Amino acid sequence: MLDFVQNFPCFSIVSCMFAGIISSALKGKGAKILNLGVLLAVTVMSALTLGYVMDLGESYIYVMGTFSAPWGNELRVGVLEAAMALFFCVIMLLSLMGGQQKLQEEVEEGKQKLYYIMVDLLMSSLLALIYTNDMFTAYVFVEINTISACGLIMIRQWGRTIEAATRYMIMSLLGSGLLLMGLVFLYGLTGHLLMSNIHQGVVHIVEQGEYHIPLMVAIALMCTGLAIKSALFPFHSWLPDAYGYSTVASSAILSSLVSKGYIFLLIKIIYRVIGFDVIQQSKIINVLFVFGLAGMIMGSLSAIKESNIRRMIAFSSVAQIGYIYMGIGLGTEAGMTASVFHVLSHAVTKSMLFIAASGLLQASGDSTDFFDLTGAGFRNKTAGAAFTVGSLSMVGFPMFCGFTSKLLFARAAVDGSWKMLPALIVLAVSTLLNAIYFMKTVIRIYTPLREPAREKRFRKIGIGEQPMNFVALICFILLNVVLGLGAEPLVALLNNGLKMFA
Amino acid sequence: MDGWILIPIFLPVIAGAALLAFRRGTAGKNSDTGMEDGMSGKAQPESAGELKRLHLLVGAVLFVSALFALAAAWSGERQVTLFYLMADIPIYFRIDQVGALFVTFTSIVWVAVGVYSFVYMKHEGRERQFFGFYLLVYGVLVALDFSGNLVTLYMFYELMSLTSMPLVLHNRSREAVMAALKYLFYSMCGAYCGLFGIFFLYKYCDTLTFTAGGTLNLLLLGENGGLLLVAVFMMILGFGVKAGMLPMHAWLPTAHPVAPSPASAVLSGIIVKAGVLAVFRVIYYVVGPEFIRGTWVQTAWMSLALLTVFMGSLLAYREKVFKKRLAYSTVSQASYILFGLSLLSEAGVTGALLHSVFHAFIKSALFLTAGIFIFQCGKTRVEELRGIGKRMPKTLWCFTFAALALIGIPPASGFISKWYLAQGALEANVGVFGWLGPVVLLISALLTAGYLLPVTVRGFFPGSRAETSKEKAENELGAQAGQEDAEAVREHGGEPALGMLVPLAVMAALAVLLGLFPGALIEYAARIAAAVL
Repeated sequence: MLDFVQNFPCFSIVSCMFAGIISSALKGKGAKILNLGVLLAVTVMSALTLGYVMDLGESYIYVMGTFSAPWGNELRVGVLEAAMALFFCVIMLLSLMGGQQKLQEEVEEGKQKLYYIMVDLLMSSLLALIYTNDMFTAYVFVEINTISACGLIMIRQWGRTIEAATRYMIMSLLGSGLLLMGLVFLYGLTGHLLMSNIHQGVVHIVEQGEYHIPLMVAIALMCTGLAIKSALFPFHSWLPDAYGYSTVASSAILSSLVSKGYIFLLIKIIYRVIGFDVIQQSKIINVLFVFGLAGMIMGSLSAIKESNIRRMIAFSSVAQIGYIYMGIGLGTEAGMTASVFHVLSHAVTKSMLFIAASGLLQASGDSTDFFDLTGAGFRNKTAGAAFTVGSLSMVGFPMFCGFTSKLLFARAAVDGSWKMLPALIVLAVSTLLNAIYFMKTVIRIYTPLREPAREKRFRKIGIGEQPMNFVALICFILLNVVLGLGAEPLVALLNNGLKMFA
Repeated sequence: MDGWILIPIFLPVIAGAALLAFRRGTAGKNSDTGMEDGMSGKAQPESAGELKRLHLLVGAVLFVSALFALAAAWSGERQVTLFYLMADIPIYFRIDQVGALFVTFTSIVWVAVGVYSFVYMKHEGRERQFFGFYLLVYGVLVALDFSGNLVTLYMFYELMSLTSMPLVLHNRSREAVMAALKYLFYSMCGAYCGLFGIFFLYKYCDTLTFTAGGTLNLLLLGENGGLLLVAVFMMILGFGVKAGMLPMHAWLPTAHPVAPSPASAVLSGIIVKAGVLAVFRVIYYVVGPEFIRGTWVQTAWMSLALLTVFMGSLLAYREKVFKKRLAYSTVSQASYILFGLSLLSEAGVTGALLHSVFHAFIKSALFLTAGIFIFQCGKTRVEELRGIGKRMPKTLWCFTFAALALIGIPPASGFISKWYLAQGALEANVGVFGWLGPVVLLISALLTAGYLLPVTVRGFFPGSRAETSKEKAENELGAQAGQEDAEAVREHGGEPALGMLVPLAVMAALAVLLGLFPGALIEYAARIAAAVL
């Protein structure tokens, strides 16, 4: 007999999707309220699901429709999935809250409705990517995800965003194409689309020693496809423009959720579809490791050269995604835990940084000149504090969640294999590079401005002016500190979830 | 539960944070002044009554927390676990003998310099901010001294870098900001080197909890000994940054001249010691001295320390800006301590610990003097100090006593610690360093005399009239206004207020008296040394 809670994952996906559809008949304000309501409902449902699965102690399978495996469509819900869903909802809510004001300013009245439709669709596709146990469903939602993400970038219409969206579209479609091809190969090899069944097929093939090359090609295609979509170096060229010029809520959502959704799918493929052992034996994981390392360095170097603060934060994302791939590439349980934790910690930090940066820019006449940020921390105090906390977290300062992820990465790296030294050295170098550009910015925003001519152009932004923004940033800061100081239960939870995951 | 030992950590931290936050609060209420304060960087002159309240509050908090810190330090071993960062990494405080020693001299210096700042900071302004951070750093330092494992130490080490940075950039000029950035980068680079090592130690040690003699597990280590040596060396280098060890010493001479003098005093006297403490903890309480004895790490460490001792003194000797000279002197003196630690012998460690204590008092006294010179007559360069002794003899006498102690002229305190350092070098079985060490220490002591004593000599005996008249001629070339300024300064500059003179006198007296009655301290340090070796 099905517990009622077991329906919640399915309800969440469907309700988000229907919210999108219904919103198209509503006005802007209505769409916004509906979106908020649905997100809150999904948050509550995910929390309940999480509690349920933790009680259950194992993952359960939810059959969609009347056909059973191996033909039907399934959701599979474990601790990790539920935790991710909950987390994504919270970040989505906070990002929208923090970016709301800017959204109203930057997006035409008539298009705001469209924005919320896109957010609804995006959320539904993210949830589907998290929960689904079917490769083809995953592919379909990857496409939905791509298209709605494009919408989020384009919603603020000027030359830069249109260019960025086009770039994003091209790169992303290339990625989806590769993913689809890999999927086709796997289907040809195993005859299944359900993840668990594919896994059985793969195990069988590997035991027989047959079809080694096609299997490797399939894995490579899927990894590359998802790497492109999640902006692993050197496929990151779409990222800075897309994150740097779109409206701030979009940047926050894209950087913290969209790319993470793909990474989550990749982890799923590694664990559930192909099997951890097979991946470990293949050399593909080493390739991911190397590109992860390269990303950590190159992303930070580009960020140092950048003077537009939002593009700088975007480049820093490239570096952080490098960290995640580095963790995956270590090919150990500990590395995977570290990566998953970093997915969370980066999501919290990066969305906070984007929103804080936008607040700082607002207090500096929306100028892209780095020197106009002088003293911005005094003009917009919440944003200044949040930016400082985010920077310290990125640099890996103890007390904040960035430090915990670094600790986890390092703990995973010190296992005596050949990957230890490169991982640790690059971790150290990249941390230093991070420190250079983030600390430079923090000092800049707290350097008092001494030129009255400039001062006239700027205005001071109080808390009362943007209450939502304030609340969102405070929540982000708290979340960051909680993840930094009390990470232990969460890490245990993730470990547990990863075990349940396979 | 020994929870109360958290009081000296959290009371100043909370009070400091409240001071800083309260400034924001008033800014919010009165947005115009807040704006000016923030944007133009000009201090809002605080009213006299407000200042008095501020001083009273800061003084009370400092005094109470120092009392608690001392009580905690000297009432036996106490420990408390704050929370768990990871399942096997708690944030954990335990007071042992070393921690007690460091907390004691930190607290004494901190309170004395705090009293001094009540007067001094009038001329720097922005007192609320200064004292806010001053309290914060004190809490963090106590936590650093009390920390019971390596990760806790690292956490507070980083916090210390961050919270002490605003002390450097206090006047917010361009130079100050650049200096603060430099300070932060050096500290962070160093700390990350240290962190890099911690990762390795985490893997190869039984526990990161400080245990006298080290916790390295040689079975786990296997063939990775060479790698671990590199990691240990990185840690020495990394934490050595704070102690101004070559090649990463450059932040000291940049940060000191721009920082307010009391900040320089604690930066040089106390915060530099945090680097020493970190190295001490790593080598003697986690890695274990036996692991690096006789390896290239020990050799490289000794060479670097000796090189720094010599170069620091030499640079100080050539430097003309008074505070910079003192900063270079710190570079040199802190490496005396590191050299003592690198010897891995009992006398060496005893000497290093003694020198940590003595140097804290001496160097604070010297910087406080420099502060008085700046405060009373705006003189920053050594050659301007000619004849200063006629106007403020008491100050210069204090300076002289501290200088003598630093040079190591018996019976002042520096002599004792240097004696033990030299003895340590001779008795440790370290080959060529056995005689090279004492020789370098001697040369450096001569150089120390060479850069400190002229200030005294010229201060009391300005020299022949011919020379002074030549200077006068030079002055006359300058603008009339400049001369008037000098005249005004001359009138103004007498002995400083008691609030500045007394802390200076206390520090100088401690520097001398500890040399006269060193018995208990030596015994205490020797006990620590015997325990860790």
